[in-house]
Amino acid sequence: MADDVTAVVVDDHPVVRAGVAHWLSTADIELVASGEDPEVAWTGPGASAAVVVLDLHLGGVAPATSALRKLVEDGRRVVVYSMRADDEIVLQCLEIGALSYLTKAEGADHLVQAVKAAAEGQSYTPPALAGALAGDRSDTRPALSPRETEVLVEWFQSESKEFVAQRLNITLSTVNSHLERIRVKYAAIGRQAPTKAALVARAIQDGLIGLDDL
Amino acid sequence: MTDHTVATTTRQVLLVVVFAVQLVLMLPSLVAHPHGTAAWIAYGLLTAVLAVVAGCTAAAVPTPAFLAVAPLVASVLATTALPAGASFSPADWGFGLVGWYLLLVLVERPMALVAALSAHICFSIAWFAREGGGDAGTAGVVILSGTSFQLGVLVVTRVLHRDAGLAAEAAAEHDAARTREELARQREQDLRAGFEGQLGALLPLLADLADERVSAADQTTRLRCSVAAVQLRRLFAENDDVPDPLLHELTACVDVAERRGVVVSLAVSGTATPVPTEVRRELVAPMAQALAVADGRAKVSLLRTATEVRVAVVADAPEALPAPGRTGAVVVETSVHSGLVRSEARWRTT
Repeated sequence: MADDVTAVVVDDHPVVRAGVAHWLSTADIELVASGEDPEVAWTGPGASAAVVVLDLHLGGVAPATSALRKLVEDGRRVVVYSMRADDEIVLQCLEIGALSYLTKAEGADHLVQAVKAAAEGQSYTPPALAGALAGDRSDTRPALSPRETEVLVEWFQSESKEFVAQRLNITLSTVNSHLERIRVKYAAIGRQAPTKAALVARAIQDGLIGLDDL
Repeated sequence: MTDHTVATTTRQVLLVVVFAVQLVLMLPSLVAHPHGTAAWIAYGLLTAVLAVVAGCTAAAVPTPAFLAVAPLVASVLATTALPAGASFSPADWGFGLVGWYLLLVLVERPMALVAALSAHICFSIAWFAREGGGDAGTAGVVILSGTSFQLGVLVVTRVLHRDAGLAAEAAAEHDAARTREELARQREQDLRAGFEGQLGALLPLLADLADERVSAADQTTRLRCSVAAVQLRRLFAENDDVPDPLLHELTACVDVAERRGVVVSLAVSGTATPVPTEVRRELVAPMAQALAVADGRAKVSLLRTATEVRVAVVADAPEALPAPGRTGAVVVETSVHSGLVRSEARWRTT
């Protein structure tokens, strides 16, 4: 299965591209193309990569949200990998339809997990993203259950799902399904995107969430 | 003596003067000469004014200015009721008395008083001129003597008022200076007490080290030093003028721990919310304590939601755990799982 995962990396720093390539190779993820321009994800081998790892800051001052939007509208599975950790841009990327948002302070482990999840159309919520969701004060934010909020906060605070599971006296898979449910709730709000619709549809099919919860 | 006291005393003195003039000097003159009925009405009217002013003075309320109309009416009534050619003669009981009444009613309002007195005098002179037959010299003496005396009283009153005003201002300034002095003293005292309170573990530690009751070679002492260092660093950061003081204090504590070789990651979520200094202290304290004794790695997080501010630390289990409990508005929770200690301080913003 893992052999089938292919990825393309868009980042303006060669050292980041090289580092990401190495991390992905250790996890049997094939990096089919990389470059500093989003074009690399549309042409040649990059066009067929399962996952796009996209840096938000490609030389310019403004974040590359339009590149993200274009990819998402085409049904591409995108993991945003950015220097920026401010909540506003994080939430904006989720709203557009990114499957995951990682800050460059977060290590190889989170990136590999995010890419693997994205390859299957699944979301991945690293701790910084959990913090952004927990601190979300926008009017449109979905209603989370107290348990979901607690999982989100504990995961943000500890960066260890085992620790969260022990603290809240639940299993590891329950922690994960809480995080998934939260992401599905987020996928159900805001603008439409194929990746978001797929997240919601699959969650309902799998019985992870009921229509009433959305 | 305050302004109010001057006004009350002046009015009391004037009341006595007017009462005496009306009863002892003017009543005999009114009775002795053949005046018209209007003169008695004027006399009654003036007596009524006297009663009203006495009432106002006793009740300590200001005399209404429109009351001055009554003496002016009395002036007209008394003057027109005089026997022929008796203006300014001993039979003219009303001229001086009306002047005193105007003074009594309008002593607080010098401009109005001068205007009313002028009207009264002009009317009397006009009547004197119309009737004719009187001695202009005698009239002049009567007008001058009566009026100058009344104006003299007015001037004395104004001077007294001014002096009372100055004295009151000086007294107020003195009081304000004393209050300022007292406040400054209190502030300094608070600051000193505050520092002593917040220095917490530092002063006893320094005393113990100085008295050689403890040794820096002991692990326990080194832990105490570490705690004191973080507390001090936080205290220095507390009064810095920065946009996000809570984050600033957290960063300061993280900085001290990193100098000790602890690998600390700091994660922040949500936007800056105003947090009172006292609450900030309580929010940071448990995390500062855990960081001070942490080994290896630690993760500090600051989360600000719409309703809560939460400061948490997850670290390799230190030896001295922050005490759980509630201090004021902040709830502290500490637990240990699989070799990691998690301590969290929560404060509800609403």
